[in-house]
Amino acid sequence: MTSRRDFIKVGSLAGGGLLVSLVVPAYANTTSNNVNSQEIKMNKFLSIDTDGKITVMLTKHEMGQGTGTSIPTILADELGADWSKVQIKKSDYHPQYTWQEMGTTGGSGSIERTWDTIREAGATAREMLKQAAATRWGVDTMALKVENSFVTNIGTNEKLEFGELAETASQLPVPEEVTLKKSKDYVYIGKPIKNRITKKVVSGNARFGLDMNLPGMVYASIEKCPVFQGKLIEFDATEAKKVTGVLDVFPLILSEEEKSKIHPKRGYVDKGVVIVADSTWNAFKARKALKVQWDYGQHGTRSITSLEKEMAQASETAPMTFEIGNMEQVFKDEDNEIIEAEYNNPHQAHALMEPINATAHYQGDRCEIWVGAQDPSIVNAEVANVIGLPTDAVSVHILNSGGSFGRRYHVDSSMEAAFISKKIKLPVKVTWSREDEIMHDHFHPCLRNYLKAAISSDGNVLGLENTAISTTGYSAWSNKWDHYYAIPNMRCYLSKVPTLVAEGAWRSTGEHSANLAKECFIDELADKLGKDAVDFRLELLSREVDWGDPSSFPDWVKKYFLPRKKIIRQRHIEVMRFVKENGLWDKQMPKGKGKGKGKGFAISNFGDTVCAEIAEVTLNESESGFRVDKVTAVVHCGMVVNPHFGKGQIEGAIIWALTALKYGGLEAENGIVQRTNFHNCKVLRMDESPEIEVVFIESDERPTGLGEPGTPPLAPAVLNAIFDLSGKRIRKMPVTKQDIHGMDA
Amino acid sequence: MAQYSLTVNQKRYTFDVAPDTPLLWVLRDTLKLYGTKYGCGIGQCGACTIHMDGLPMRSCCLPIESIQDKQIITIEGLTENADHPVQKAWEEEDVPQCGYCHSGQIMSAVALLDRIPDPTDEDINRAMKGNICRCGTYPRIRKAIKLAAKDISS
Repeated sequence: MTSRRDFIKVGSLAGGGLLVSLVVPAYANTTSNNVNSQEIKMNKFLSIDTDGKITVMLTKHEMGQGTGTSIPTILADELGADWSKVQIKKSDYHPQYTWQEMGTTGGSGSIERTWDTIREAGATAREMLKQAAATRWGVDTMALKVENSFVTNIGTNEKLEFGELAETASQLPVPEEVTLKKSKDYVYIGKPIKNRITKKVVSGNARFGLDMNLPGMVYASIEKCPVFQGKLIEFDATEAKKVTGVLDVFPLILSEEEKSKIHPKRGYVDKGVVIVADSTWNAFKARKALKVQWDYGQHGTRSITSLEKEMAQASETAPMTFEIGNMEQVFKDEDNEIIEAEYNNPHQAHALMEPINATAHYQGDRCEIWVGAQDPSIVNAEVANVIGLPTDAVSVHILNSGGSFGRRYHVDSSMEAAFISKKIKLPVKVTWSREDEIMHDHFHPCLRNYLKAAISSDGNVLGLENTAISTTGYSAWSNKWDHYYAIPNMRCYLSKVPTLVAEGAWRSTGEHSANLAKECFIDELADKLGKDAVDFRLELLSREVDWGDPSSFPDWVKKYFLPRKKIIRQRHIEVMRFVKENGLWDKQMPKGKGKGKGKGFAISNFGDTVCAEIAEVTLNESESGFRVDKVTAVVHCGMVVNPHFGKGQIEGAIIWALTALKYGGLEAENGIVQRTNFHNCKVLRMDESPEIEVVFIESDERPTGLGEPGTPPLAPAVLNAIFDLSGKRIRKMPVTKQDIHGMDA
Repeated sequence: MAQYSLTVNQKRYTFDVAPDTPLLWVLRDTLKLYGTKYGCGIGQCGACTIHMDGLPMRSCCLPIESIQDKQIITIEGLTENADHPVQKAWEEEDVPQCGYCHSGQIMSAVALLDRIPDPTDEDINRAMKGNICRCGTYPRIRKAIKLAAKDISS
C-alpha cells in the first residue's frame, strides 16, 4: 500500500512559493525507458508562487479532446483556486511524468485514469494552504474555508490569498490524509468551462507541430515507397536537384542494426527518398522530378479484393476462442431456425486535418524533437534507437495536434526528422503531403464477422456463433468476456490474415469494428422474432452471461474484470430504461418502405462508458443513398467533468463514424492505396452534418472516457434505420446508393 | 526564383520565391505567418482560406505570380484584437476542438456574413461545406455563425 506521503512531495518554489510534486515509484510505468521506478524526483506538477499565480503542468497531449483544459480544471476545483489565476504549462517529455499513464494520451482514459491523483494533489495543496492560514491566525483549520484562491476565517471574515500563504505552506509537512470535495461542492467540475486554446485559435495564434520554426531550419519531404514494407532499388535525382531551392537528396534506408532496435509497428518507417529544400513547396515540387525504382515486395501483388478472399478462406479454418454451452447440439436440432449473416468492416483512414510532421535538431551528442504525439516516451525511445543516442540525450517537445485519433501513437515522422537532421547537421522540419498522410496512414484494421444464430420455435435465441477474421489478430466480441448479451450457447472463432497496409489505432479501435456486426445482428434477430429492438436487448441483458464456474476464473478476472462487467451491464440497462422512459425510442412508429423516415437503435460500451444512439434516416439520391437527419445519443459516463467538451466529443465521434459509414473503406491495387486526397477520400462536411442531441445520464460515479464511446453505435444505428425504412439489410461500409436503391440507381 | 511584392494584413512584403509557389507557402515558410494552415494543397479542405481583395480564396491554389497587387488578409490580420463578431461568437460558443481548421472556418464565415448578413441554414451549408473539420465541430460552427449574424444585425 502506497501512503500519500510517498507520492506527494512538497517543496519550495525558487523565488518563494509552494511546489507540489507527484512521485509514485510504486505505480511506475512498465515502458522500458521509464527510469523513475526507483527514484523520487520533484516533477513540479503544481506550483503556487507568492503572487498567487498557480501553474499546472499538463502531461497529456491536447489534440482536440479538451483535457488540456479539463484536467487543470479538476485540480483547480479541488484546490479551491480562482480559475483565472491558473496557468497551464505543457510539460516536455520526461520519464518523471510518465508513470500511471500520466504521460500517454489515448484510450479515452486521460481523465478516468488521473482522476484520483489530480484531485489528491489539489486537495493536499489546499489543506497545506489552510494549515498555513490557521497557524498565522492561531485558529483551527475547522474554522476556515477555501474558495476562489482565498482562505477565509469564517468567524472573522479575514481573508488571505494563496500567494500570501504559499511560502509558509511549503515549509509544512504533507498531511497524512486529506478529504476530497463532495460532488455537490464542485465549482468548476460539471460546468462548461471554456477551452483555454480557443482564444489563440480564433486569433490565428494557436501553434501546432506543423507551425514549428527554428533559426536556420530547412524543409524536408520524402518520396515514400507506395507499397507497405516495399524497398528502394535505385533512384535518379538529376532532375530533382535542378528544382529551385533543393539542397540535398538522399535515400531513407535504415541499417539492419537500426532496424533491429526499433519497434516493428510504432517505429515503422517507409523506405523513401528524402528531398531537403529551402521551403516546403520546393521540397514537394522536387519529389515530382525524382525517378525512383521500387521493389514492391510481398504486398505488391495484393489488393483489397484479394484480402477479402483471404479473409473468407481464413473463416473456414479459424481456431475457436471459447465456447459456452453446446453449440453443435443447438445447430443440429431441426426444430431450431438458423440465421446467418456476414458483416464487413473495411480499413478506414484518419485523414487528420494537420498532416503528419516533425521537426528535429540533431546536435552531435543530443537531439531535440518538436512534434505532436500521443505518447512522447515512444518518440523518445524510437528516435534514440534510430540515431544511436541514449534516451536521455533525446529531448521531446510536444506541440498540440490538429487531430490525432490514434494516429500519432506512431512516431514515423519524428524518426524521419531525426534521421535527416543527423545526416545534414541542420534543424529540419519534415512535412508529409496530404497524399502521404492518406496513402501512408496507419489504417483502422479490417474485420469480417461471419455470424450464425439458432432460434427456437418458441421464439428464443438459443445460440450465437461469431467467426471473426481480422488483419490485426484481435477483435472485440470474440473473447467471452466481451459479451453482455446473455445467450445460453455461444462460441467464437478468431483468425488473422496479414495486412497489406500499415495499421494502427483509429478512434474507438476494435469496438467500432465489432459493434457493426454485434448491433446489426441483434437487430436482425429482434426483427426475426418480432420483438422491439430495445426490449429485446433488455431481455438479453436481464441476466449475466454464464461465464462458467467462478472458482475457475483467473484472479485478475475476479478482481478487475467482473466488477467492471457488472457496472457496464448496469449502465446498458440504465441507458435503455432512460431511452424508453423519455420516449426517445418510439416503438409505435410505422414500419416499412414508403413511410419517409427510418429509425434505428444501437448501443455499445467503450471502456466503462456506455453510449446508445438513435438514428433518424431518410433516403435520397446522393452517392450514399441516404441522409441522417438526426442522431440522439444517450451516454452513461459517470460524472461529466465538462459538459461542453463531453457533448462535443460525442458530436465529433458521431460525425467521425458517419464519415466512415458514408465514405470510408479503402481501395488498394497492387499494394498501392488508391485514395490520395479529400476528393477521393471524402469526409463528412457541414451540409451533411446531422442534428445531434446528446443526453448524459446523471451520475455521481467517477468519470469514465468520452473521446471514443460515441463512435461504435453510429454505423449500426444508421444501418438498422435504413432497414427500418427500406427493408434492406446492408452489412458493409461504405453504404452506396446501389446498396439501397439497387444496381440501376 | 523571382522577386515578388505582396500586401498582407496591410503590410507590404518583398521576397524571392519560385513563381509557382502557392500563396499558402509564401505566408507560412517565407513570411512566417502560421495562422493559415496547410490541409490538402488542392483546394478541397479550406484550412488555408484567406481573403483576397475581400473574397475568400484557397491560398494553397494561388501561385504567387498570379496574384500581384492583390490585398491579402489572413486570420492574423482579420482584426487587431480578435474581436470580429465571428471571432467573438467562436469564443462564446467555444467552437474549436483541436482548432487546426478554424482559421479557415472563420475566414469563410466572415466572408459569408459580409455577403449575407442573416444567412439561412442552406446559405451556411453552401458557404461552409468547402471547409472540413475532422473533429466534427460543424454543429457549433453553425451556432456560432448564427450568433455572429445576430451580433452584426444588432
